[in-house]
This record gives sequence, C-alpha cells and structure tokens, in this order.
Amino acid sequence: MSASRVIRLVWFVTWFNVRMLLASEFFILTTFISPLIFATLAFFLFQSGGGTAGQTLLYVALGAGMMGVWSTTLFGCGGAIAWQRWEGTLELLVSAPSRYDFILVGQTFGAVVLGFYGIVATLAWGVLLFGMPIEATFPLVLPLSLLAAIVSLGSLGMLIATTFVLYRHANALGNLLEYPIWLITGLLVPISVLPLWIKPISYLLAPTWGMEAIRGATIGAEPPLLAIAMCFILACAYYVAARYTLVFVLDKARRDATLALQ
Amino acid sequence: MTATALPVAAPRADPASLRAAWRVFWNGGRMSYGMLFNWARPSIYIPTLIGGPTFQLLFFAALGSYATDRSPAYFAIGNAVQVSALAGVFGMTMAIANERWFGTLPAILATPANRVALFAGRFLPFVANGLFVSLYAFGVGVVFLGVRLEPSSLAVVGAALLATVFSCTAIGALQGAISLRLRDGLFGANLITMAILLFCGVNIPLAELPAWMQVVGNLLPFTHGLEAVRQAADGAGFGQVGGLIGIEVLIGVAYATAAFFLFSYLERSARQNATLDVR
Repeated sequence: MSASRVIRLVWFVTWFNVRMLLASEFFILTTFISPLIFATLAFFLFQSGGGTAGQTLLYVALGAGMMGVWSTTLFGCGGAIAWQRWEGTLELLVSAPSRYDFILVGQTFGAVVLGFYGIVATLAWGVLLFGMPIEATFPLVLPLSLLAAIVSLGSLGMLIATTFVLYRHANALGNLLEYPIWLITGLLVPISVLPLWIKPISYLLAPTWGMEAIRGATIGAEPPLLAIAMCFILACAYYVAARYTLVFVLDKARRDATLALQ
Repeated sequence: MTATALPVAAPRADPASLRAAWRVFWNGGRMSYGMLFNWARPSIYIPTLIGGPTFQLLFFAALGSYATDRSPAYFAIGNAVQVSALAGVFGMTMAIANERWFGTLPAILATPANRVALFAGRFLPFVANGLFVSLYAFGVGVVFLGVRLEPSSLAVVGAALLATVFSCTAIGALQGAISLRLRDGLFGANLITMAILLFCGVNIPLAELPAWMQVVGNLLPFTHGLEAVRQAADGAGFGQVGGLIGIEVLIGVAYATAAFFLFSYLERSARQNATLDVR
C-alpha cells in the first residue's frame, strides 16, 4: 500500500469512527458530560481548599478534560475489536486487502480525537461558569503538544484494543482502569506528591506526558520539549507492542477458528 | 393423542394469595439478580464493583487531601457510601430495563403476579449487594486511608448506611422504569451516580455548594444518609442522627413509589399502544 493510501485509509476510518461514537449516548457522556462534572467537582474542591494547593483554574480544567480523553480512549479503544465481533464486521476487515492494523489505528485515533473535544468543552465550561482566563505561555508550541498527546494516546489506545480483546469483558476492565490512571498520571494530583514507587509506572503512560506537554505549553515556565519527545517515543513503542500483540491475537483466532466468536 | 387429552396441572398457588406474592417477591428477586444483572459474574463483578470502588476511594482521597486541608478519611467515608450507587443504581436499572432487552417483559406482564411483590422483590438483592460493596469500601478506608469507627457507633453507622443504600436502590428503580422507554438506560444511571458524586456532599460539604446545588442535593438520595454516616462515625448516636436517617428513608420510599407508579403506567401504556417490544 502506498503512503498516500494508508493516510487516506486512516483518515477515513478516524472520521467514520468519530461519527459512530457521536451516535452513542455512552460516549457523549464520557466525552462531554463526565469531564464537565469532574471539572466542576475539582473546581469546587480546589476552591474549598482556598488555593492552598497553588493550582490555577486552567490547571484543573485541563486535567479534568484529559480525564475525559482517557475515559474515551479506554472505553472507545478497549471495546474496538469486541464491537467489530458483535457487529459481524471483524472477519471482513481482517480479510480485506488493507492491513488491519491501519484500520485499527484509524479507529483508536477516532476515539482519541473525540476525547479531545472534551477538553474544549471543559475549557468553555470553565470560562462560562468560573470566569477562567484562557492563556498560553507558549502558544506556538501548543499545537505540537496537542498533536503529540493525540498520537501517543492513540497508540496507547491501539495497545489497549489489542490486549483487551484477550479478556472477554473489555468494558469491565475499562471500569477498573479509569480512576487509577487518572490518579497516577498526574491529571489533577501532581505526580510529585504520589509515593515514589508509582512514578516509574506514571512515566510509562502516555497521559502523563500528554498532560505535561499540554500544561507546559499553556501554564508552564519553559517549553515542554521533553514531554513532547516522550509522547512520540512512547507512541512508537506502543505501536510496535500493539502490532506484535495484534499479529499474535489474529493468528491465534485464525488457528482456533474463534475470530467471530464472542 | 390430542391436546385435549393432556392432563392440565392445577395452579400451585392462587396468584392473589399472600403465599404466591411471597414467592414472586423472594424467588423473583433472587432470579432477577442472577439473570438480569449483567455484572453478576466474577469476571465483571470484581473489576467493576471491587476494583473500581477501591481506586475511586484512593483517587478522591488523594485529590481531596491535596486540594483541601481535609483528611483522606473524610473523602474515604464519602466515597465508601457513594460506591453503593454502582450496585444500587446500575443494578436496579438493569433488573428492570433488561426485562425488555432480554425479551422477557411481555411474559412477565402477561402473568397475573402481584405487581407490588414483583417490583419490591427486585430491591432486596441489590440493597444487599450495595451494602456489601459499601462495607468493602469502608474496609479499604479503614486499612489504607485512616477511617476510624468507634465500636459503639457501628450500629448507627450501619442503620444510616442501610437507609442510604435503600434510597439509592429506589432511585435506581425509578431509572429502571424510565429506561423501559429509552434506547440506553445506563446513560441515566451514569448521570445519577455522577450527580450523587457532585451534589450530595460526597467530596464537597453541602454547605460549600451554591444554593441551587444544595436544593438539588437535598432532593437526591445519599445527602441525608451520608451526613448521618459522617456524624455517626464521629460518635453521634441515634438521638442525633435519627432524623437524618428518617428523611433518607422517606426519600427512598418516595422514589420507590414513583418508580412503581411509573412502571404501572408504562405497563398500561405499552399494552394500549402495543409497544411492549418496541425498542
């Protein structure tokens, strides 16, 4: 497949998936409503603390928005392959001439892109209800930060999609992994206040660096170049791991004739 | 052999009898838990109702104690009570709404079974399950987050917790009844659990919320029950928190009654409009 056809395929599947997820009430909830509720909760909590934590409203809004991005990635990607099984399209997609991992890339990016709408909704919410100022200390770096965050979360989503398929109840794993990742990736509570043993795990997770890249460009003191670089490095690592897992999972499913079985 | 030659078994119990109502209440409730509650299997139950609440407690304890000067135990108690909503609200929603999705609703409504027994029977397993999840979360709070309960206050805490779990199951029943007409009933169940998290003093004291949010909080389950649990954990007796527990029970009864009437109304309406199986 030529590069242009791959880009076209990924682009098409991404937008197709965004449109499909927009038709789901559950994803409307996780992308647009849930971040607003958690943002409000966090705003009141930080307000209740009287600013002792020293964080700005923008810090809270970005963190709550990123929580929504993680939820959408987790549920949108975790169930991606399982849904194709339920819909009966998995066999067709796997046996199509296009490489299945490119289709999966588009699917997972669709979920992540939808999740990022949640950040916009949370920022608008903060401005309207709490008079939050919108500012960026490095406005030219911000688009690159956003791109890095989307790419790294998309690749992590692909890894989630390929590994969760090994567990029959992907949504249950989603329920399990929502809060711990919110906690250990420093979305609202800085990693520096967490126990030392958690930090290595945090640094292996895309939301940690994605959040760092976005916050660095908006409220940071210096450009978040390390965070942006880490996003791209992790994205490559996740993609390679996801590709190997996918090959293993599909080979096993073909060998056992369980591709279409739920 | 013709059909008329088949012996017809006599009904085992008059559907209008108390005994039949008890069987519908007890067996129906038990079966609804096992068959309609999608999470009643270890592979879903453990990640969702054990793992999820554990991390919810740790998350809010960390966030709350970082953002405010309150102790992690304050947030642990609030969330240990709130996690019962996962079992109560989602469970009851599934126990009622899944009748339609699994195609058993027409059969249920065609029976002459006592509707009050049918409806009330669903509560018991989910109240028990909510209590279990909440008690487990309290255990996590005691072991990891510094929650301390005086032995003398355990009975009061237990009563307040029971009232709270009942009222949250009642709002779940209302959501279940509403879901009989919706495409996705769990959307509303998710909204309710989030609203409880925000409006009911789980993480932010009610007094610190804007006035309109306090009004909403006072109309929702949890607010009074949770306050009673908090006060009891601080050593208050039945005398001090009895009123709060009473209000919580009344709120639960109000939601349960509304749910029953809505269920009955939707049953009549579905029969009249032939929409029992329309999704």
